[in-house]
Amino acid sequence: MTPSGARRLTEPVLGVLVFLVVLGIWELWAGAADSFLVPTASEVAERVWHVWPTSDFLSQVGQSLKRYAVGFALATAIGIGLGLVVGTSHAARRTLEPILELLRAVPAIAIVPAAIIVLGPGDASRITVITFGLCFPILVNTAEGVQAISPEVRDTASMLHVGRVERMVHIYLPAALPSIMAGLRIAVSLGLVLVVVSEFVGEQNGIGYYLVVQQSEFDYPALYAGILFLGLLGYGLNRLFLVVERRVLAWHYGATGG
Amino acid sequence: MAEPVLRVAALEKRYSEAGPAAIADVTFDVLEHELLAIVGPSGGGKTTLLRLLCGLMRPTSGSIHLDGRLVSSPPREAAVVFQDYSRSLFPWLNVYRNVMFPLRTVGAPRSEKSARVATVLAEVGLEDAGRKYPWQLSGGMQQRVAIARALVSRPEILLLDEPFASVDALTRTELQDLVLRLYDHEEHGVTIIHVTHDIDEAVYLADRVLVLSGRPGRIVGSVGVPLPRPRHQTATRSSPQFLSLRNELHGVIASLQE
Repeated sequence: MTPSGARRLTEPVLGVLVFLVVLGIWELWAGAADSFLVPTASEVAERVWHVWPTSDFLSQVGQSLKRYAVGFALATAIGIGLGLVVGTSHAARRTLEPILELLRAVPAIAIVPAAIIVLGPGDASRITVITFGLCFPILVNTAEGVQAISPEVRDTASMLHVGRVERMVHIYLPAALPSIMAGLRIAVSLGLVLVVVSEFVGEQNGIGYYLVVQQSEFDYPALYAGILFLGLLGYGLNRLFLVVERRVLAWHYGATGG
Repeated sequence: MAEPVLRVAALEKRYSEAGPAAIADVTFDVLEHELLAIVGPSGGGKTTLLRLLCGLMRPTSGSIHLDGRLVSSPPREAAVVFQDYSRSLFPWLNVYRNVMFPLRTVGAPRSEKSARVATVLAEVGLEDAGRKYPWQLSGGMQQRVAIARALVSRPEILLLDEPFASVDALTRTELQDLVLRLYDHEEHGVTIIHVTHDIDEAVYLADRVLVLSGRPGRIVGSVGVPLPRPRHQTATRSSPQFLSLRNELHGVIASLQE
């Protein structure tokens, strides 16, 4: 067997082993601590079994996912749209840069209280927070991608009489797509952070709300079951994104040998 | 008798008002169905001249007329093949779609346009490559795709900007013969301006060779090439007439550098 072949077999096995060892340490340590503040791994696993399949928990998840999806979609539209404008027009860049730089520096979770005052508790304020936070990485990556397009591509577009709108949609958008996807990849993970944190305050449902409730009701195993679910959800969303990215950027990976 | 297709009069380009001229006092005519080569040292204003001819840039003074009309933006009758094929082809489109791109606004049935694409792909020897992506082809084949894309809209004038500078010597001779074949092809009757720093290539391909001096670029010589067509890599290049023409041009360029 080749060394790399051997590594391909042993590395996943090692990965599972390390995972089990960490679980074991948790179990022993929490068992030794014998405190209701620190549930053991088996207690949490038992709660996972009873919490995850319940309609209450799943509807909380549904609420969060709805906000996440709408916020992500809005941020994608705004981020790519503004990114194309900022990336192509010097005038737009100079005009918008000060305000965009300032807003970008604001941590998105800092606007949660203000969003609740203006939009009230509920979907609108959470979605606003998510959209606000996610549109900047998408915007910046789109603008950078567009600015990095080679002069040859621009010249070719001019020689082929590609008009303004067509140039945006059929030249700049695909040419900047590798960079845009990098922005979206950041947004996939950041979105989950924002949806959970935004639901911590003044909310009646969602996973963030669920975590806060379990904390206040001292149901710590359920709290950890929720956290574990978020970990799996984040992992799943990332994997899903990678599949989409591989598909959309197949030409790019081919061209760059990636 | 052939008419001038392109008239270039007293062309001058300065990139900044007080800066030096990149080209100055450039005047020449190009006849219908002429293959004109423009040679000159690197950095000698060849690219500036070509970008002006393409309408990608406006001259500081002087004028370019194509078919009697002033060129102020890329004319529909002109097509260009850039040196850097890897950047001028759209990597997100396959070969067929790249070549189809210039026809997107042509009001003809899809089947007709499709047949047109198939014809030019066959002319450049890529009849089977339609479904491939540019990165799946060699450099020489990519440049063939670029040539096919330039020809598909049946341009009156084809501008070649050092088109073979980035390929290996063997591929270069193949592409030179491809250009000769397309030029001799009756249906096209296309006028070609070929910018190169390779004197032998210029003599081998052209009906007439203009010599552009460096800084600022001026036309310092015009040498007719009465070599018989069709031309052949070995027979033409070893003829005494070829050798005396290339020596004459080498003499003109050498005198520039003194």
